[in-house]
Amino acid sequence: MIERFNDRNVVTGIIQLGLILLIITIGGFAYRASGRPKDGTAPPEPVMAGAVAGAASGAMVALFVIVVTLLAEAGYVARDMFESVTPALLDILTFQQNPWVGSAIMIVMAAGVGGLAGYAHRLPAEGRKLTFLGLGTLLIVGLAAPIVDVMVKGLGLPSGWLFRREGLTVAGALLVLVVTVALRWYLDRQGGFRRAAAKLPGITDSNIKKVGLTAAAVVVLALPWLVNSFISEVLGTVGLYILLGLGLNIVVGYAGLLDLGYVAFYAVGAYVTAVTTSLVGYLVTDDPLRPAQNGWTSFWLALPITVVIAFLIGVLIGAPVLRLRGDYLAIVTLGFGEIIRTLVLSDWLKPYFGGPQGVTDVPAPPPASFEFRQPQRLYYLILAFALLALFVSSRLKDSRIGRAWAAMREDEDIAEGMGVSVIKYKTLAFAIGAAVGCLGGAFFAAKLSVANPGSFTLLVSINVLAVVVLGGMGSIPGVVVGSLVLVGLPELLREFGEYRLHIYGAILVLIMLYRPAGLIPDKRRARELAEAKELKETSGVAAS
Amino acid sequence: MTAAPTPMVRGLSTRLARLPIRRISLIALGIAIIYGVVAGTTATLRTGKFDTHDWVNFLVQGIARGSVYALIALGYTLVYGILLMINFAHGEVFMAGSFTAFFVASALAGHGFLDRQPIISFVILLLVSVATSVTVALLLERLAYRPLRGAPRLVPLITAIGASLFLQYTFRGLYGEQAQAYPEIDAFQGTVQIAGFPVTKEQLIVIVGALILWLALYLFIERTRTGRAMRAVGEDRQIAALMGIDVDRTIRITFAVGGALAGAAGILYVLLFNQVNFTMGFIPGLKAFTAAVLGGIGSITGAALGGLILGVLEAVGPTLFLTGTGIPSAFQLTPIVSFGILVLVLIFLPGGLLGAPEEKRA
Repeated sequence: MIERFNDRNVVTGIIQLGLILLIITIGGFAYRASGRPKDGTAPPEPVMAGAVAGAASGAMVALFVIVVTLLAEAGYVARDMFESVTPALLDILTFQQNPWVGSAIMIVMAAGVGGLAGYAHRLPAEGRKLTFLGLGTLLIVGLAAPIVDVMVKGLGLPSGWLFRREGLTVAGALLVLVVTVALRWYLDRQGGFRRAAAKLPGITDSNIKKVGLTAAAVVVLALPWLVNSFISEVLGTVGLYILLGLGLNIVVGYAGLLDLGYVAFYAVGAYVTAVTTSLVGYLVTDDPLRPAQNGWTSFWLALPITVVIAFLIGVLIGAPVLRLRGDYLAIVTLGFGEIIRTLVLSDWLKPYFGGPQGVTDVPAPPPASFEFRQPQRLYYLILAFALLALFVSSRLKDSRIGRAWAAMREDEDIAEGMGVSVIKYKTLAFAIGAAVGCLGGAFFAAKLSVANPGSFTLLVSINVLAVVVLGGMGSIPGVVVGSLVLVGLPELLREFGEYRLHIYGAILVLIMLYRPAGLIPDKRRARELAEAKELKETSGVAAS
Repeated sequence: MTAAPTPMVRGLSTRLARLPIRRISLIALGIAIIYGVVAGTTATLRTGKFDTHDWVNFLVQGIARGSVYALIALGYTLVYGILLMINFAHGEVFMAGSFTAFFVASALAGHGFLDRQPIISFVILLLVSVATSVTVALLLERLAYRPLRGAPRLVPLITAIGASLFLQYTFRGLYGEQAQAYPEIDAFQGTVQIAGFPVTKEQLIVIVGALILWLALYLFIERTRTGRAMRAVGEDRQIAALMGIDVDRTIRITFAVGGALAGAAGILYVLLFNQVNFTMGFIPGLKAFTAAVLGGIGSITGAALGGLILGVLEAVGPTLFLTGTGIPSAFQLTPIVSFGILVLVLIFLPGGLLGAPEEKRA
């Protein structure tokens, strides 16, 4: 599996992703190992320390290669147990040499990388920042090369000298590096982006936000026409997750209730829309073999029905269990998600939900002449509803309801004492979250023309949770960024596709460990988490 | 200007508002469920499709399955008892042991050792599985949970979910995504008669094994110094520390013990189900959690009891309650029985069968 990373060019013909991952790992270790020790002892000689640390990590890799080779010679093939230990992986780790020579090269290279990483400590802070920024941008642009390529072409510019075979050319790589570093350096000189932008003609401090928003709106609207239909479709999927994320954000972020069965509402949205609009024979006509001309209703009528039903189901599921404490609630909602999936899968309800096949033949939203299924059009449709959801949730946040949620989240007992009806507001959060999330389901059914149980597994709940957590619980821009990063990127970086869930898991853990308020923290939420941490630190001192 | 409601209407509406709607609807729900179960059961029994023999069979299956749940549930209960957190990744600890031991089992089977020395092989498998599970549990505690001690409750829970996913896919990366079938141990095949009813040897081993492990754990917690330290830390971490108990060490031991039981459960599980893959831990983990809640989380006896009840209800329930009602393929609805029990227990009996009544903790 890992060898597939090496098919991916970052700078075509020179650097592949596999090599980069290796270098980043070794360099990262060396960088940390050569830094100033925490206990305040004298700083080590950073280049030497880095080289030693690098060589040590290289030696670990070499040891692994040699052990595997020796075992294989003795008749024990490591691959029988460890599936990923393929000959191709060994080839990468030995630079296509024999194991001994390869190991030697590996150690020397690792020492070099480690030394360079150690040298970074010697650079002045500004230089170090610029170096990391430049290399980071290079990596991102290199990985995103296929998309950027399409977009450059979409603008009608020649792109052959920048990109070749899904990677940057050497010229392109240099250009990216120089432009990034120069731009950042210039902006730092000017005292930041806002200051620099304010010097442009026609921009003042007061309208800069407006100009920025307008620019963003133009980009968002023009995007489908710059890229091909595959990317438009990916953007549509991102939009679906934005809808789901906004819905879950209300439950988890605003009200502080961990819902692990959120997929239930996604499923409700898809199934209600599908059942009410599907043309499939058994739902509409008496003769199961003859497909109907029309479903029971059209998509646009089904949408409000779906929202109402999802809202009611949210109340029904929420009301009895919302008195439970946080972690019990998580498990119970997870149970509800599984119950709903089991129900739609069962033979018992097959006459309504079609069993494992699901409900098929869901028509596209009318009018038929507009062809909503075309990815670009669907993008606009989803965009419109995502904007609506954005508006609703940003207005909710500072409304009376939103403030009640915040109070409840910070301290349930005090909120109750202040006259906030905890049960009422919890139920409301649950139901509104359900109503927003079901829109995602409705579009899913309309997009794929089917609602089938296979699409509504627990993993969806966890994906949406990861989106919300990465962006920052309670943060609306966070949901957008989270969806772009977690849903958009893996679709585009096919090599990571298999590792997607692996990465989701790691992200959930790492974010909680290092940045619990997320990438774009919501101010109030960040403060709550920081306070809890302070408390923990003071009580930790008392306990130890 | 809105017209003030007339006194009579206001009286009615306040009186309506004072009605304990929640309680009434819960009681109605309870009655409906009891009615459904009783009606379904009588209808099924009246069809006469199954005789005593079948029911005993279901029951034994359920007890065997429940014993595995109980062992995993002990891990949840131990950790919850001390840290008040749900170790969501515990199912993956169970999977890690079972999946790793598979490769040892197939190597042993390849050399014919498995059939020549079934008991020794079984012990080896058990040790491998336990060692792997303990390692994973300790790593999990050190890397994911320890830094978060004292953080808001949501934080370690999300971490645990992430860790669960991460572990699943790490093991998928290591061992591949196919399901693997454990080699069968010939000596463990066949049935024995107990009170006139046939029980497979494998089921017997599972039940007896789980019983022994549970007893060992019980004695460990109640009789040893370390066990006492664990209980003390569960009561009050700070005071335990003041009394000279090494809190970190005690928590580590708790995770190790829970991991060891999960590892053992992993081997007993394959005697019943035979197959391993990287997602195998998730559903048993959830069910074990249900069992722990059912018995009263924090209680060792409760976890065992909850596991057995859940196992039996799962094996007997769908057939007993639903066959008579004419629902096709009732066994498909098993998850509804298990998760339904979880929901109902939490609504009606939040403390579980043997747990202390739920108290609110910040």
